[in-house]
Order: sequence, then structure tokens, then C-alpha cells
Amino acid sequence: MLFPQAEYTPEPATPDYLDVPLEDKELLEKFARPESRNMAFNQLVRKYQEKVYWHIRKMVIDHDDADDLTQEVFVKVWKNLDNFRQDAQLYTWIYRIATNECLSFLSSKKRKFFLPLNDVTAELMEKVESSPELAGDEVQKKLQKAILRLPEKQRLVFNMKYFDELKYEEMSEILGTSVGALKASYHIAVKKIEEFLKQD
Amino acid sequence: MMKKDFKLSDIPKRNPYQVPEGYFDRLPMQVMERTAAREKAGWLPNLWQPLRLAMAPLLLLLLVFVGVYYYSAFNGQDKVLVNLAAVPDTEIMNYLSTYATLETTDFVELNTLREQDLPADVLNISAQTAEAELEYYNLNTLDY
Repeated sequence: MLFPQAEYTPEPATPDYLDVPLEDKELLEKFARPESRNMAFNQLVRKYQEKVYWHIRKMVIDHDDADDLTQEVFVKVWKNLDNFRQDAQLYTWIYRIATNECLSFLSSKKRKFFLPLNDVTAELMEKVESSPELAGDEVQKKLQKAILRLPEKQRLVFNMKYFDELKYEEMSEILGTSVGALKASYHIAVKKIEEFLKQD
Repeated sequence: MMKKDFKLSDIPKRNPYQVPEGYFDRLPMQVMERTAAREKAGWLPNLWQPLRLAMAPLLLLLLVFVGVYYYSAFNGQDKVLVNLAAVPDTEIMNYLSTYATLETTDFVELNTLREQDLPADVLNISAQTAEAELEYYNLNTLDY
């Protein structure tokens, strides 16, 4: 089966698909040594790939776009990991790269086709509408389309809080925004979504 | 139909999207391949994008410059032709007799003309005198 159905559960802090999950510190130490660099990076990708992918997928909707962007994020991680300052968490740093990639992708889409924001949103909504995964689930389809009506950055905040269940402090580190602004943004996003759903 | 007093919490929270089977098993290898390809390609492809952006206005300027140059050269050529046509024959003759130096190729050209085609008043010399003049200078000894 191409798309197996699964109930939503947020990613565990330590994914169980790793036989012996390494702590970030240990991963970074191994990455710094040429003889264990590839092995450490492979483990890093395995550890964070699902979080990164789903974060991107909810922003760009299309699997192929999300796949390409996820790979691009990890290429950037590979190139810049030597410069990573350990005063931040590795995960929030990777998440930040992923967020930037998403926003750049959506901006380039607008520039490439000279599309205003509304047309990009309409294109993403069309993808949701024709998605085989959402066929038959009208409530989820309406919710996804309502989320897409939010401005891009508010959509990011909503996804990170609602789906990824990140703490406001983590979101603040990733987005470089104050906790207060994020709380207000999330609250407004929820109200807007409820309003959009009432209108439908 | 949604309820009037709708709340987000009424909707069960789930990830509505899925991935192809085995996708996350393959992804690390694909990422490793991509990083290896980038390492192999080196820094040149990264430079290409900003270089292209920088080259675009320069190329445009060059095209404009070449366009303007050829346009003015073409127009100038027209002017020379028109002006030359307007110059009286006597003036041209005066110019040539004062400044022009004849080359060997000019003599070759002259040989193709019949004697009667060379008016005495133009050359200011008879055909016989001209021939005698040529005999006087041994052309074979001239350096080129």
C-alpha cells in the first residue's frame, strides 16, 4: 500500500527506530572526527528526518516538494554542522534551517510564477482538495484548508504548537520571536481557523 | 455541516498526510548521496548562481553598447557616401594628385584599361610619356 493510514501521534523525544540512539553531544563529537563523520551524520538524519519532513510537508503540502526540501535541509546541516555553536539545541537549529527552507521555497514559488500570495494559497488548497490521503475525511480536509488560509508565519506557529506540540520557548528559539508574541499569534490563529470553519 | 459554536478541540488531532512505504528507510541514503555529490561538485556550482545574477546587467549593458556602436557606425557610413557623392570631380582630382600615392596594384588596374580610356587631361601626361616613365624605373628592383 502506498499510503498506510496512521493515527496522529507526535514524534517521541527519542525515536525508537534507532537501535542505540546517540545524544546530540555524542553525535557532534563523532561528526567532528573524520573516521566517524559519515556514520554520525547518518544517525543524525535518522534521528531527525521525520520531524523535519513533517514540519516541511505541512507547509508545502506536496510530498515531492517536501522530500526535496528535507534532503536540502540535511545537506545544509552537513555543510554547516562544523560551525554549529552548542549554546543552542541541535534540534532547534535544524528546525530553524527547515523553517527557512520552507519560507524560501514558498517565496521563490511566488517569484518564479509572478504569483500573488493568494494564488500560492489556492494552489496549495487544490493539492489538499485532490489529495488521496484526505479523500473521504471532509472534516480534516476543511481543517487543512482553513490552516492554509493563515498567513505563512502564523501557519508555521500554528503547526509547531498544534501538531508538533513544541514549547513556546523552543519556538521562540527557532523563530527568533518573543514567547508573548508567539502565544498571541497562536491564539489568533486558532480563532481564525474556528471562524473559517464556521463560514464553510 | 460545522456547529455554530465550533471549537478546534472538537476535531480529533491527527496528521492527515502520509508518505510512500519505506520512505524514511531510504531517505538517509538519499541524503548521503546528495551530500557526496555536492562535495564532489565543489564550490563552483555554488558560485554560478550569484555569478549569473551579477553577469546579467553587465551583459545587458554590453548588448546596449554594441547596439549603439553598430547603429552609429552604420549611420556614419551612409553620411560618408552621401558626402562623397556631393564632392565635385575636380576637388577629388586635386586631393588625389596632392595626397594619394599610387601602389603597384593601381598599375595592375590601369593595365586593364584601354589607352583611349585614359584621358590626357586627367593624367596630364600622354600614354607614350607614361610608358617611358615606367621604363625609366626598374620595377623589379623595388622593395615591397
